Amino acid sequence: MLRSLTAGIVLAFAGSRANVARTILSCAGIVVGVGSLILVVTGSDFGERFAIAYSETNAGRAATFEISVMEEVSDQEALEEDIRRAGAQEVSLFQTPSASVLLRSGGTVIDTADFRGVDASLGEIRRFTMAEGRWFTEADLESRVPVLVVNEDLANAMGDRERVQIGTDRWTDVRIVGVLESSGTDFTWQSAYLLRSPASEDLLFGPPPPGQADPYGDYMPSGGVTYLARIDPGDPAAQDPTGTMFHERLTSTAWRWGVRSSDSVWGYRIDGADVIEDAVTYLSWGLAGIAAITLTTGLLGVLNVGLVTVRERRRELATYRALGASRFTLFVVVVMESVVVSLVAGVIALLACWALVTAAAAVLESFVSLPTGVALAIPPSGVLVGLGSAAAVGLLAGIVPAMRALRSSVVAGLRE
Amino acid sequence: MAVGAAAPALSRPGTAPLLRAEGITRHFTVSGTRIDVLHDCTFEVGRGEVVAIVGQSGSGKSTLLNVLGLLDRPSSGTYDFDGVDTTRLREGARSRLRGEGIGFVFQQFHLLERRTALANVGVPLVLAGVPALRRRARARELLESVGLEHRLHSRPHQLSGGEQQRVALARALSRDPALVLADEPTGALDAASSTMIMDQLLEQARVRDAAVIVVTHDPKVAERADRVIQLVEGRTR
Repeated sequence: MLRSLTAGIVLAFAGSRANVARTILSCAGIVVGVGSLILVVTGSDFGERFAIAYSETNAGRAATFEISVMEEVSDQEALEEDIRRAGAQEVSLFQTPSASVLLRSGGTVIDTADFRGVDASLGEIRRFTMAEGRWFTEADLESRVPVLVVNEDLANAMGDRERVQIGTDRWTDVRIVGVLESSGTDFTWQSAYLLRSPASEDLLFGPPPPGQADPYGDYMPSGGVTYLARIDPGDPAAQDPTGTMFHERLTSTAWRWGVRSSDSVWGYRIDGADVIEDAVTYLSWGLAGIAAITLTTGLLGVLNVGLVTVRERRRELATYRALGASRFTLFVVVVMESVVVSLVAGVIALLACWALVTAAAAVLESFVSLPTGVALAIPPSGVLVGLGSAAAVGLLAGIVPAMRALRSSVVAGLRE
Repeated sequence: MAVGAAAPALSRPGTAPLLRAEGITRHFTVSGTRIDVLHDCTFEVGRGEVVAIVGQSGSGKSTLLNVLGLLDRPSSGTYDFDGVDTTRLREGARSRLRGEGIGFVFQQFHLLERRTALANVGVPLVLAGVPALRRRARARELLESVGLEHRLHSRPHQLSGGEQQRVALARALSRDPALVLADEPTGALDAASSTMIMDQLLEQARVRDAAVIVVTHDPKVAERADRVIQLVEGRTR
């Protein structure tokens, strides 16, 4: 059996090399089908990675909840403790300062930057890629001056990054420890994260300076707070699209942090991981369906060429039998020739897709700065699916001609 | 031996015959009509013996050769090859026995068109599972033995008829078969090439102690056999 199989494979390879015209003819349909499939897998993979990167950068990793308490919180520590008790693995403040914060570096004053007060744990909730420096650490809590991480847009707008000050009605020196990479997923302009620490307490929670209204006071009453929390995506609360379960868990002890009405507490999932997964699944099925149709057309092409050539090659196949080939060997020869042809087509399709995707990636990257780890390239799954489907198509398309070859009379074949 | 001579069962004294055909018949049914091609064919062939089968067109020579080569099954009778009753064997075992014990030389050569002489000779060795390096060495040696060392990489269409038949002969001998079946091996060749092919066929068979059964119309070919079996309307004489 093994010898028959090996002999069949050796003869099939030799036959495919010898009959180049037949091989090329059979290839055309498969090249288009496998190429479509590889592009579908590549597109889906890129789309999924880009969407996840976008979601993780702008919202958070799965499953991130935003919790807003729309009335004064008497005990923030108790609130954070209860957020953890409700299932959160990571919790970070996500607070807009109570007054418009300006930034001054060198002679430049920037009044358009978006500031958020956060904890170092936000680095575990959101995906951040540093262009320079680092994210916050616990050691930064001891800093005598507020500590910032800014994005590249803001960093580029600054004249001098060593001597930077921020303020509302008076300037305070700040220390910039890192710059976040700007990418195609980052749709904010100039933004900065301000670490919650004793040094930034006033900026974040102090009253607005005299004569200046709280810019966010219309929807966030004084004393209200916002948090981001990440819970286990497998937690039933993460599966609840309305966030009711998490809300109920959290508000059951709202009295501990001075909130009487549960209506003042909002908590809902903001990351898009589940939505992306659903969208990618539906999209992949749709595109795979199109690719399958194309691949079936290719299969029929190989099948057709296989049936014609088996009829033309009756003498050759009968000669194999006369020389001692078993029926199984003959079956393997015909099927493997079909598989070899399809694999050759698969490799051609892969090379063509590689060239196309490389060119597309170069064009894309000239317009958009892609986030780290989201390059447009054929993923390993694309290579596997492409070559695997090519081999499967070859196998399927080879069976019918092989069965027909087995039915042919050896004696009649030798007479031709 | 003269054409038409009697066909006694000859084996070397003290040795079993290589093949024994007993009461072989073969009939075909075409459009509901039965056509009897072979009738009660009985004979033996000894090891190393050269036998010519002669007869008019349609006398059943090729059908008999197909039965002897295990390419076809008799309708009745028994056929023992190398001590094995082949009529009881399954298809896989018959293929194995054919590959190991029988070499074929066809009138139309039946070389694989797009393969080199070396590759053609190597096909039975591929089927035998011989590794590539040993296969190439063996094929080269065989082609050298039939004087084609300068044609190793030629394809069939680049060879003369005589050269193609020598490649086919080398291929038939590649697994040192006990029996070489040659169906009109000189039928497509000129006189000079015919003589050369027969010389080489008989010489190579003698060297390997292989029996040879030649189906031929050519009296010159038949004359070179140890024995002649004449087929008349499907019956051996």
